[in-house]
Amino acid sequence: MKITKAVVTAAGKGQRNLPLQTLIDKDGEQKSVLSIILDEVVSAGVKDICIIIHPDDEIAFRSVAGEHSNHLTFVSQAEPKGYGHAIWRAKDFVKSESFLHLIGDHLYVSRTNKRCAQRVVEVAEAESCSVSAVQATREGLLPNYGAISGKRVHGRDDLYSVEKVIEKPTPTEAEQRLIVPGLRAGFYLCFFGIHVLTPAVMDILDYELNKKDGKNISQITLSTALQELSRKEKYLSIEMNDYRYNVGVKYGLLNAQLALALSGMDRDKVISMLMETLLLREQRSEGRND
Amino acid sequence: MSKLIDLILSENPDIRNQSLDVFCKSASIKELLNECDKLEEFRKASDNLYEQVRALFFLYDIHRFHLPLKDGFPSGGLIPFDGYEDLLQRRFEEAIQKYLTIQKTSGACDGISSALAAAYRNLGFQTLANQVRASVRSVRGNQWMFRAGHPSDHPLRIVPELIKKENNLFPILHEQTPVRMDLSHSGWSDIFFLGMDFPEGARVLNISIDLSVREQNSQQSPRPPVEVFFRVINKPVIRLVSADLCAVTEITTFRQVFDYAADYLGLLKAAIIASGIVPPSMEGANQPISDLLTELVGPNLGIEIVSQVNEIPKGSRLAVSTTLLASIIAVCMRATGQTASLTGALTEIERRTVAARAILGEWLGGSGGGWQDSGGVWPGIKLIQGEKSKDGDIEFGISRGCLLPQHTILNQNEVTENTRRQLQDSLVLVHGGMAQDVGPILEMVTERYLLRSEIEWKGRLKAMSLFDQIVEQLKQGDISQIGKLTNANFFGPIQTIIPWATNLYTESIINRVEKEFGKDFWGFWMLGGMSGGGMGFMFHPSRKEKAQTRLQEIMREQKKRYEGGIPFAMEPVVYDFKINEKGTWAEIMTGENTIMSKHYYSLVIPSIIRQDPRAITQEQRIELEHFTAISKTHPAFDGMFQQILDRILPEGEKHTSQQQNLEELLVKYGFDRIQHEQIKTDLRSGRIGLSQNRLPVSTAIEDVKIDELYDIKDREHSKFASIGSDAIASGTVAVLTLAAGAGSRWTKGAGTVKALNPFCRIKGAHRTFIETHLAKSRKTNKKFGIKIPHIISTSYLTHEAIKNYLQSENNYGYEGEVMLSTGSIVGLRLVPTVRDLRFAWQEMPQQILDEQAQKVLDSLHSALMDWAQKSGEASDYTDNLPMQCLNPIGHWYEIPNLFRNGILLQLINSNPKLRYLLVHNIDTMGANIEPVILGRHIESKAAMTAEVITRRLDDRGGGLANIDGKIRLIEGLALPREEFEFVLSYYNSATYWIDIDQLLSVFGLHRKDLSDQTRVTEAVRSIALRMPTYITLKNVKKRWGKGQEDIYPTLQYEKLWGDMTILPELKCSYIVVPRMRGQQLKEPAQMDGWLRDGSADYVEKLCEWEK
Repeated sequence: MKITKAVVTAAGKGQRNLPLQTLIDKDGEQKSVLSIILDEVVSAGVKDICIIIHPDDEIAFRSVAGEHSNHLTFVSQAEPKGYGHAIWRAKDFVKSESFLHLIGDHLYVSRTNKRCAQRVVEVAEAESCSVSAVQATREGLLPNYGAISGKRVHGRDDLYSVEKVIEKPTPTEAEQRLIVPGLRAGFYLCFFGIHVLTPAVMDILDYELNKKDGKNISQITLSTALQELSRKEKYLSIEMNDYRYNVGVKYGLLNAQLALALSGMDRDKVISMLMETLLLREQRSEGRND
Repeated sequence: MSKLIDLILSENPDIRNQSLDVFCKSASIKELLNECDKLEEFRKASDNLYEQVRALFFLYDIHRFHLPLKDGFPSGGLIPFDGYEDLLQRRFEEAIQKYLTIQKTSGACDGISSALAAAYRNLGFQTLANQVRASVRSVRGNQWMFRAGHPSDHPLRIVPELIKKENNLFPILHEQTPVRMDLSHSGWSDIFFLGMDFPEGARVLNISIDLSVREQNSQQSPRPPVEVFFRVINKPVIRLVSADLCAVTEITTFRQVFDYAADYLGLLKAAIIASGIVPPSMEGANQPISDLLTELVGPNLGIEIVSQVNEIPKGSRLAVSTTLLASIIAVCMRATGQTASLTGALTEIERRTVAARAILGEWLGGSGGGWQDSGGVWPGIKLIQGEKSKDGDIEFGISRGCLLPQHTILNQNEVTENTRRQLQDSLVLVHGGMAQDVGPILEMVTERYLLRSEIEWKGRLKAMSLFDQIVEQLKQGDISQIGKLTNANFFGPIQTIIPWATNLYTESIINRVEKEFGKDFWGFWMLGGMSGGGMGFMFHPSRKEKAQTRLQEIMREQKKRYEGGIPFAMEPVVYDFKINEKGTWAEIMTGENTIMSKHYYSLVIPSIIRQDPRAITQEQRIELEHFTAISKTHPAFDGMFQQILDRILPEGEKHTSQQQNLEELLVKYGFDRIQHEQIKTDLRSGRIGLSQNRLPVSTAIEDVKIDELYDIKDREHSKFASIGSDAIASGTVAVLTLAAGAGSRWTKGAGTVKALNPFCRIKGAHRTFIETHLAKSRKTNKKFGIKIPHIISTSYLTHEAIKNYLQSENNYGYEGEVMLSTGSIVGLRLVPTVRDLRFAWQEMPQQILDEQAQKVLDSLHSALMDWAQKSGEASDYTDNLPMQCLNPIGHWYEIPNLFRNGILLQLINSNPKLRYLLVHNIDTMGANIEPVILGRHIESKAAMTAEVITRRLDDRGGGLANIDGKIRLIEGLALPREEFEFVLSYYNSATYWIDIDQLLSVFGLHRKDLSDQTRVTEAVRSIALRMPTYITLKNVKKRWGKGQEDIYPTLQYEKLWGDMTILPELKCSYIVVPRMRGQQLKEPAQMDGWLRDGSADYVEKLCEWEK
C-alpha cells in the first residue's frame, strides 16, 4: 500500500479562517497555518492534496498555500453537514486509494526527527491498513475528541488494534467501554487528528449518509465510520507522544506559535523576548520605572 | 485448628452452614474464651471480607449471648473510658485492643464482654459498609466521578437539544419512573451483603408499578409515582425544587451541594452528585458553582431539576426514595449525554449504571436500601438474582457475589398478559399508616444470616423454596396459589427469620379480612422491610372492589384502636395500581408544550408574583406568560388560579386555633406559668442549662464497694423469703407502675403511649407493657391467694389512652384493683438555646456515625441550631400539635401525686394493711413482687430500697455512687464529667421498694393527713424544692405532608425520683439484682437481644396471662 493522496478538512463552522492565519514556522519563516499543515502532509511523501472548503474560500486558500498551491484540489462543502459528510465529499478525489487525512485547525510538533504524519503513513504502508494517530488524553478533554479502545499489537508498544470508536464519549461511557490496559486511570486514547484511511471508509460514509434512518446528517462523524471500519477490516492506531495544537480554541494560535518558536531555530530569541515581557510586567506592578 | 474457624473456612456447606449456637451451648467458659482468641487472630490475618466479617459476628455473638449466660461467668467489671471513647469515635480496632488488654489482666467479665460485643458488632457492620462503598466506587462508569477535582476538568456537557430555545423557552426533559414491588418478599435477601456473600440465595421477583391513591370521587388513574423535570435556565445556578415537599433552593457554591440536611432537598443533591453533574470529588472546591456550569451548560446558564412524588406517602415500602434517586440520576445522565438516547427507555447497561449510582446516592445521603430498590428503572416483571463474582469483576477474590445483581425481564410468554391482568385484579395494595425505621431489622437479618442460627437458617431455606414456587405459579398463571404462598411466607419464614416483621396492628387487619372474606381472601403479602406500612392483600377478583372499600374502613378502625400505643405517621390509604411495562421513560417537551407539574407552578408562581414587579427578571416574565397561557388552555390546570391565590393569601386562622387549644390544655393540666417564665429567663441568661445540671467538679465521686450492698445472688435467702412471703400474703404490698412518660426513645418522640405498645409476642400473643406487668401481679396473686392492687401513674399524655384501652381490654381480666393515678402538673417544651445544643452535640462525647452519615448529621445539627436561633432561643415550643408541645416534668412527681390525687388515701382505705409499694418503670420488664427482696427491704428497716444491676456498656445515665461520703443514686446528667460514670459499677434499674409510712414522714405527713389537700400540697412542694431540676434535651416528632416526619430537639425540665436518695432523713438501702430483672427496654433495637439472651423467657416465667 502506497499513500499518495491526502484530504484536509477546513470547511467547518468557525474553522474557515484558521488555515489563513500567519505564524512563524520552526525554520523562522513566516507561513500560513495551511502552509504548515501542507508541509506536514508533503513530509509524509504525499503530493496530491485535496482540501475540503467552503465554496467561497478557494482563492484565499490558494493564495496562502505557498509552494504547495499547485498540488491542491479544492472540493467544496456548501452547507455545514458535519465531519463525516466533509470527508465523504473527497470520494471522487481519492477514488479507490488509501489516503492521509488531517484536520485543518491542528498543528503538530514532533518530538523526533520524523514528522507526525510521516510516522503514521509509514505504519499504514507497512501494515497495509487504516491507521489513526491517537494520544493518551485525560478524561476532562473527552468532550473535544473521538476516542478508541483496543488491544496492543503483540511486540509493539505503540500500536493498537482498534476495537471500539466513540465520538466525544462521556467519561461514564469511556470507563465502561474504552478502558485500555496500561493507560493511567482517567486517560483514554483520543484521536490526534491524523489518519490514514482505506477507501472502505468512503464506502461506509456513503452508506451511512444515504441510509436516511432519521439521523441528522451532521451527527454522522468520522468516528461513526471508523467504528464500522473496525468491524470490517484491520484497523490500527498508533500512540503518539508528540504535541498537537488546536489553533481554533482561545489562545490556540498563540500557543501554537509559542510551541513552534520554542522548538525551532529562534528558540533563544523567543525565550529572551518572553523573559523581557515578564520582567517589565513585574517591574511595573512593583511601581519601578528604571 | 479452632472448631469455629472451621465453620468459616469449610467448603462443605454442611459444615459451613452449621450454627454457632450448637457449639457454644455445650462449650465451657474456658473453651469459649480460647475460641475467641483464635477467632481474633484469624480475623486480623484474613484479607477475605467474608471470613473477617463472619469471625467478627461470631465474636460478637459469643460475648453478647453466650459467655454472659454461662454459670460462673463474673458479672460486673469496669469498662475503660478511653475504650468507650474509641468506640464513639468509630476507632473500633483500638477499642477492641483496649478491652482485650483489660480482659487479659483482670480476667473476663460481663462488663468487658458487653463492650467487646459492641465493638465487634460495629466493626463487622463497618467492614461490610466499607466494602459496599468500595464496590460502588469501583463500578466502571462511576470511577471518574472520584477523580475530577477542578470545575475546568468537568468532562460532561449538556446535550445541545436542551440548550436550543423554542418560543423563548428551553426544552424540558421529563422522566417518569414506576416504583418497585417485591412479589416474593425476598426474606431480605436483597441486603447488599447477603447478595455479595450468598448470591445463590439472593433472589427477588420484582414488579414495576404505577400507583394512585384510591379516594372517593377521584378519577385519578395509576401513573408512575415518581416524576422529574430537567431544564436549562438563564441563571448560573443549580435550582432544585421538590414540588411535593414544597422546597426550592438555588445553589451557588459547592458547599451548598454537599450540605445534605440543610433543607428537604438532600436527596436531590445526592442525585446530582451521583449522576456526575457535580462529581463527588469536587466536594470542598471553593470556586463558585457557575464555573462548573460554564463548562457544563455554557456561560450564564444554569439548570433546574424538579422532582415530584405523586401522592405516595413515606414508608410505603415501595422504595420510593431510591426510585426518586434513580429517576433524577437517569434524567441527569440523559441530559449530559451519558445515555444513548435522550428520550424513551434506557439500555441495560445504562439501567445498571443508574442502579449503581442510586446506591452511591444513598450512601452520600446517609441512607440505605436493598439492591432491588431501583427495580422500577426496569420494565414489567423481572427476576433479580445475585451474581457470582468471576475473574475480572471488581469483587472477585473479595466476596463471592457481585454488588449489582442480574435483572432478567420476564416476557409475555413467560408471564402471560392474562396472568398480569389477574394479578392486578386480585391484589389490593395499601399503606397501613405506620412508618417505622427498618434499619435495625436489616441489621438483625444480616447478623442472623452470618451466624446461621439453626431456626433462622431453616427459615431462609424455606423462603428460597417458596420463592421457586411463586415464580412457578406466576408462570402457570395461578394467582390464588401465589396468594397462599405469600401468606405462607409471611407467617412462616419471614417471621422465623425476624419476629418483628409482624405486629399487632397488621395481624388484627389480617384476622378481620379473613373473617369477612373467607375463601375469597387468598393471602397476605408483606412488602419490604416490615409490615404495618406498605402491604398487599389478595382476593378473588370478583371481590376486589369490595375489599378495597372494606380494607380502608378496617384499617381506619384498627388504627383508631391501637394508635394510643403504636406510632402512626398518617391515615391508612388504599392504592390503585397497574404494572408498568415501560420502566423509566423520558420525553422531551419543547416550545409551548414545555409544561412543569401543577405542584411546581403553585410553588413557584406565587413567589414570583410576590416580588416587586421591577425586580422580575425576563426569564420569570416569560415563565409567567407561559403559565398564564397554559392554565387557560390546558384542562389539567383547571382551578390553578385559585390554588395560586390561596398560597398568596395568608393562612392565619388555623394557627390561632392551634394556639388556643394549647392554652386550654395548659390550664387543664396544671401548668405553672410563673415557674416556666423564670426557667426561660434563667435559660436565656445562662444560669441554668444542660451544662449546669452537673455537680461541681470538686465533688468526690467513688464507686460503691460490694460489701456496702446486698447482692441477692450471693446470699442465703430463706429468712428474707419467708418474711417477704408473709408480708405479701398479708396484703401489705401494692405495685405502682410509672407510665406517665412519653417513652421518647421508644418511638423517637412520636408522642404515643409506651405503656400500650404491643412490644413483643409472648406466649402466642402480642403483649403490651401494661399487660405484662399485670400478668406478673396476677401470678403473685395466684401464688399467695391475694389480690394485689396495681396502680398505674399517668399524665396528660397517657391518661385517656390508658384508661380507654384498659376499659376496652377489661383490665386484661386482672382480678385485683387497677387504679390510675393521674398527674396534675405539666411543662411546656422550649426551643433550645444554641448554647445547649452545642453542649449536647459538640462538647459531650457523641457517637460518631459512618463518614457520610456523620456529614449529614453535622449538616442537620447546623440546620437545627439555625432553626433554634430563628425561632427564638428558650422561647415556648408551640409549632406542633398541642400535645407534642407539652411534657410531663419527670417521674419524681408521679409518687407524690399519689398523695395529692387521693389515690393513696383510697388505697389505704380499701387496704388498711398496706405498708409497702413496689415502684417500677413501665419498661423494667423483670420487676415483680419478689419475696426475697421485699423481705430484705423489711428487715433493713429502710424507707426505700433501690434495686441496682451491674453495669454493661449500654447502661448509661448515672448509677449508684459514693458522693462526698454518702451512698446515693446519681443521674448521668449530674455527673461532673462523663468518665465518672465509668468508675461506677452499678446502674440504677429504677425499681424501688417504699415503706409508705416512712416516706410520708419524710414529707412531714401521716396517713391521716392525706385527706388534707392543703397540707399535702404544701408538703410536696417543700420536698420538691429540695430536689434538683434538670434541663434535658428531648426529641419531638413533627408530622407533615404525606407521612413526612421531622425531629426537633426541645428543652424541658424534669425532676427525677432517684434524687430522693440525697435526702439525709430518708433511710435508703441498695440491693444488687440480676440483670434480667433490672434491665429496661428503652429502644426497639434492644428487643432482638432481649429475646435471644433469655430475658424474654425470664419475664415470661414471671407472668400468668389472662385466660
